Amino acid sequence: MTSYDTNALRGLVQSDRVHKDFYINPDVFDIEMERIFGRIWLFVGHTSQVPNNGDYLTTTVARQPVIMSRDRNGKVHVMFNRCTHRGSQVCLEQFGNTKRFECPYHAWVFNNDGSFAGAPYPKGYADGFLDKEKLDLVKLPRMEIYRGFVFVSLSTDVPDIDEFLGPMKDHIDAFCDRSPEGEVEACAGVFRYRYDGNWKLQMENQTDVYHIMFTHVSTTDEDGKQFRREGAEEDEAGKVKVLAKNSRLDDQWEEHPLGGHRHGHVYMGRFAMDKKNSGPVYDRYKASMEKAYGDQAEENMTVRTHNSIFYPHWSIQHLSQHIRVMNPISVDCTENIIIPLKLKGAPEEMWHAALRSNNNSHSPSGMVMSDDMEVWVRCHEGLKTQSTDWVILARGMNEKFSGDNTGSYESHGTSESGARNQQLAWIDYMCGQG
Amino acid sequence: MLADIEKYLYREVRLLDERRFEEWTDLFTEDGYYWVPAYPNQTDPYKAVSIFFDDRQVMRTRLSRLDHPNIHAQKPPSRTVHIVSNIEIDEKHDVEGEILVHSTLQMMEFRLDKQTHYGGRAQHLLLKTDDGFMLKWKRVDLINCDGVFEPLAIPF
Repeated sequence: MTSYDTNALRGLVQSDRVHKDFYINPDVFDIEMERIFGRIWLFVGHTSQVPNNGDYLTTTVARQPVIMSRDRNGKVHVMFNRCTHRGSQVCLEQFGNTKRFECPYHAWVFNNDGSFAGAPYPKGYADGFLDKEKLDLVKLPRMEIYRGFVFVSLSTDVPDIDEFLGPMKDHIDAFCDRSPEGEVEACAGVFRYRYDGNWKLQMENQTDVYHIMFTHVSTTDEDGKQFRREGAEEDEAGKVKVLAKNSRLDDQWEEHPLGGHRHGHVYMGRFAMDKKNSGPVYDRYKASMEKAYGDQAEENMTVRTHNSIFYPHWSIQHLSQHIRVMNPISVDCTENIIIPLKLKGAPEEMWHAALRSNNNSHSPSGMVMSDDMEVWVRCHEGLKTQSTDWVILARGMNEKFSGDNTGSYESHGTSESGARNQQLAWIDYMCGQG
Repeated sequence: MLADIEKYLYREVRLLDERRFEEWTDLFTEDGYYWVPAYPNQTDPYKAVSIFFDDRQVMRTRLSRLDHPNIHAQKPPSRTVHIVSNIEIDEKHDVEGEILVHSTLQMMEFRLDKQTHYGGRAQHLLLKTDDGFMLKWKRVDLINCDGVFEPLAIPF
């Protein structure tokens, strides 16, 4: 097997194109797992997914099974789902509440904070062995929580979380501050689905305005306008929808704001809407926001970004109101976890509309995601051909693009700058300047 | 009665297999809905996410999308076969003019050299009308409802 040296990796990414091996080569994927997913902050979940003491959930972080739990004192922990005795996973339920995790193999027991609580027939061990040996479930090397968003790292050697998130912290704040209580709640479960394609195909798609009117043409009606997706609650909740003419490229799309920051983070500005939010439910929301934030209410209620994409694997979708986690399974398989978020304290009708919107657009049957996934799978298959080695990402190269992974940049429209910014970060992580 | 119900349920799923989506939608009452929960034992579609929770309006959106010439996720289209069996009338459901029917439902789907098999329990709430049955709601509880899915297009 070839092993990619730094020069070979660097050669995969050029200013306006990337080599197909960037997406399809299993060796490259293994290096990504080590140098990107193994070394920077990853998203694992939101604390509101384990609201009560004793609550837990199981998930994976960079392919490794983990447990996120809340102990009897309310503290949240993230630990590897692996018995410290012989290696068995100690819990396979997706979520639940427990005081202790018991290994099925020899009934070793761990408290819900991960601490070792005992092994049967301890006399079989040398005196003091079980006390001396470190037998607690092993915690992820680093964990940080910001406004309920739980981050972990597989290495202790990671940049400071504030430095890593940089201006993207404002995007988390902006989402939480739309709630009158300043909190979001992941209280409706999750969707999980997967597609047979590389993780970066989706990451790069998320600031790709260019594809919307083509990939998603079937979500428009004869006039080229977006279908409604929320069902009856939409009007009731005073929710607005994406402005007309999804089906063709016009000035509206070219003016659309895009941007990004150091470390590969990117975002897409808010789509133009067909009307202002209004109605009795919206008025109630506005009143509660004014009560909570005073003069700041209007500012907090204004959604400025459609989505915020945090490198390497998750995003906040502000308008559709969910967290999207993109977990790489293998070079050609990616699993999505969609976590809808409720704005705590906002009218229930708004939450119902948001929940229905998530069902209709981002569930496994979602009318938006299914066409996206189709395209990513087709890309991955097409890239396997010997046709040509390069994928062209030159759109917007004729315009000023100040992104160099040293600071922030602004771009607009159908430019492929978002993908290029992620790729600059990729080079730095893979070649040692991350 | 059971024979009429069987006939109705067989036709209901046949409309999906034959991609007669508009006719399928028209089986539902105006306030009818189609629900596929994403977790077992759900009682309220506003408490948790759903794989499908379509009122007539969303159904029409979804199904007119299925007829769109550029629905990429269905080019080429899926072929499906739905299998309904173990049909039982709920004796405990005692509402005048309504019949609650339980059944088991399977759907085989074939697209792009891949065959997928779904299965679960279905419930139909039928309204007796002068012109036969109307569907007030259909609910499908898949055995893999909280599992990992590939994209879905055709209702179960």
